[in-house]
Amino acid sequence: MNVETVFPKVRDIIADVLVIESDEVAMDARLIADLGAESIDFLDLVFQLEKEFSVKIPRGQIEKNARGNLSEAEFESGGVLTEAGLAALKAYLSEVPADAFTPNMKANEIPMLFTVETFCKLIVAAKSSQVEAEPLGA
Amino acid sequence: MQFLFVDRIVDLQPGTTTKGIKHITADDYYMLRDASDRRYFMPALVGEAVGQLSAWNVMMSTDFTMRPVAGISDCARVHRPVYEGEVLSLESTIHRLDDAAVHYDGKAYVGDELVFELMGALGPMLPMQDFIDTEVVKSQFDALFSDDASTSTPKLTQGHVAASLVQFDSIKALEPGISIEAEKTIHADVPYFADHFPKKPVLPLTILLENLMGLSSVLANDPAFKVSEMRRIKMSDFVTPGDIINAKLSVKSFEEDTLVLRGKISRSDKRVCVLEIVMVKS
Repeated sequence: MNVETVFPKVRDIIADVLVIESDEVAMDARLIADLGAESIDFLDLVFQLEKEFSVKIPRGQIEKNARGNLSEAEFESGGVLTEAGLAALKAYLSEVPADAFTPNMKANEIPMLFTVETFCKLIVAAKSSQVEAEPLGA
Repeated sequence: MQFLFVDRIVDLQPGTTTKGIKHITADDYYMLRDASDRRYFMPALVGEAVGQLSAWNVMMSTDFTMRPVAGISDCARVHRPVYEGEVLSLESTIHRLDDAAVHYDGKAYVGDELVFELMGALGPMLPMQDFIDTEVVKSQFDALFSDDASTSTPKLTQGHVAASLVQFDSIKALEPGISIEAEKTIHADVPYFADHFPKKPVLPLTILLENLMGLSSVLANDPAFKVSEMRRIKMSDFVTPGDIINAKLSVKSFEEDTLVLRGKISRSDKRVCVLEIVMVKS
């Protein structure tokens, strides 16, 4: 399973959640800026993805994935991403153009960066961690 | 006219299941009349009662620091109207609860008969203090367990809901069998704002749904078609006093005795709610 293989289903779910046509959902489309997603749509989207792919995606999982080995304090301070936090986020969201990451970016602005590919990656990561947790024959 | 629809909580397992009761009495305000002039409780508000039952559990489980608000529902199924004199037995099961949202299902029975189902409800969690004083909500919760709470909510005069509460003000466009568009101003003096909510009055999703059920009937233009289900419901923004909302319903499919409508409600062209409405010919 990879980003390309999950994309068609993720695209259909995003289209359904945002009440738009599937062909409007490009891999690099930003959910908020390009597709008009609201905060409730992210809740809906994660819920629908969990059902479709039979995975559990804890709230804030994208930020957690981006944080990697950094502690919360190393990632953000007073709601603003630290230098190390911004670098980690940039590395994780490699599909997002570099100029979208701004210095002193606030943690609550992170969803503005999410693209369709971000959610494809989220599914791939959730599926692979599921496989690791449930080895064959378990 | 209180907008609180659980009369008594009979069982509550924190973070999981809740059971409660709602009596449909002569003094209930939110009543409609059917073709034979029999009074029945607004169907969407049976869903409100189920949602409030679950919300009591959630609020208690978070020590009244957070409250869920209506957000998303996979499906709300109306099996039959609930009439004056009947007693609703309410049940809800919470599947998941965290800082961001609660995911739950709920059912309402009259005796052993299932009359309403709410499936896949997802309510965003918001700070209690933004909506209502914690002490007020705690005292309302405590009252739901008292013996005095066993009959009903406070007695009022004979229930008589203003028709304007559940009707759109004007039909802006109508293509019979295809689509309908209507508009409504949400006035500040409507009774539900007192409870929903004292610090932040917002239009209850269920009142909006009741309005949309009425609008569906205008589009169907056949009294034999009744709303049996509303699905893929999503409220994406609050509607507040003074707002003017615009609703568009269009026929998505029509096969034999089933009519499926797609709805979009907006305010100043910004989406506030989407859903599908299923009508079945009886």
